[in-house]
Amino acid sequence: MAAIRKSGGVVVYFWDGKLADPRDDGFAELLAQRRFRSIETAASEEVSVGWVTPADPTGDTFANEDLDGGLATWLRLRIDKKTLPKKWLQIYRDAAEKQRGKKLSARERRELKDELTERLLPRTLPAVNLVDALLYHDRKMVMLFATSKAVREAFTKLFFETFTIPLERADPLRCAHVAKLGPDADRALDRLEPVRWPQHEGEQPREVARPKKANVAAIAAAVAELESEAVGAADDTAPWEESEA
Amino acid sequence: MSQQIDGTESHGFLGEEFLTWLWFRWETDGGEFTLPGGRIVGVALDDFLTFAAPSDDETEQTLRRGLPTRTAEARTALRQGRRLRKARLLVAEGERQWTFTLDAPTLGLGGVKLPEDAEECETEQDRTADRAANWLAIHEIVQGLYVLFLRERLQPDYLKSTAEQQAHWMAT
Repeated sequence: MAAIRKSGGVVVYFWDGKLADPRDDGFAELLAQRRFRSIETAASEEVSVGWVTPADPTGDTFANEDLDGGLATWLRLRIDKKTLPKKWLQIYRDAAEKQRGKKLSARERRELKDELTERLLPRTLPAVNLVDALLYHDRKMVMLFATSKAVREAFTKLFFETFTIPLERADPLRCAHVAKLGPDADRALDRLEPVRWPQHEGEQPREVARPKKANVAAIAAAVAELESEAVGAADDTAPWEESEA
Repeated sequence: MSQQIDGTESHGFLGEEFLTWLWFRWETDGGEFTLPGGRIVGVALDDFLTFAAPSDDETEQTLRRGLPTRTAEARTALRQGRRLRKARLLVAEGERQWTFTLDAPTLGLGGVKLPEDAEECETEQDRTADRAANWLAIHEIVQGLYVLFLRERLQPDYLKSTAEQQAHWMAT
């Protein structure tokens, strides 16, 4: 069994509530209840998502020692996906149209696809995706080693189905609350507005071709008016804004 | 599942302010930070920067390779009051060093490279345990840096203290 990865992208999630202790047998039992189930010979299922362990990619066994990741519990998600190769579909469709001497209708195309799916899917091997996550039980945090939306959604759904606890993705607000800075800070966070940093005349932008001459003075006046309105509407002012006013 | 507030949408700007603040602190204070709990880390910006678009209609600006923080384009962006959206960072603690790209609006880490495995690691299980500790460490370091920023940012007089210093730095 190879070690956990040492590079890549990671998405952090937090949870509230009580999660089964990974050292207890009950934790592995929960994973086993949502274990991966093969769709190798299935004719209709196109996607299967479930838990496996780093030592056993079949999902048949869940030994506690296979989940040991030192400070963390090493979870592994397996996502198998069967898809009918598009080129096969196109080949069969072209052949049918050639035989008929005319294009297939939408209904006929759908029927052809259904018939091919039923016939060819059992012979199609699924694409296998193994995704790792490290669960830090004492910190109520999971690191998922995947960033795609589809995998993130599959992981959070499976986690919820397994432990009946929703995961909340880390973001600037959540990380601030996790830091437990106190009620005053939490209140300040809720009403925080972005700082409008002063804008200085820097290097001029490069000249670009214009289809016709623009009324630069009128645009500049309109922009200045908008900016002064925006500054005037603010509750908090920074020193540079006072001096500009 | 409970309906959760999307903090990326509502507070993504705070992540961008944090990343810009890291640059400001790195350039003005040397990039050494003492985190809550006493942990000392060094932080530097590396070879990739993306400035956030000031509005939906405007363009993001990405600078990569070499020393983008030293370029005229980067200084101009700061002078125009633009915040950093993404940056590749180098973080060091003792002998250990991480590199990663911080996506400010989500605080997500991309392209992470962990420190070399410890010499004591003899088995794959040892390596997993060592790496799990290093993954946790980089999360805690970023979180610790964010807490330092928030402690300044959430002060009632922030705009007249740290922000004024930062505005001066951005203008020069």
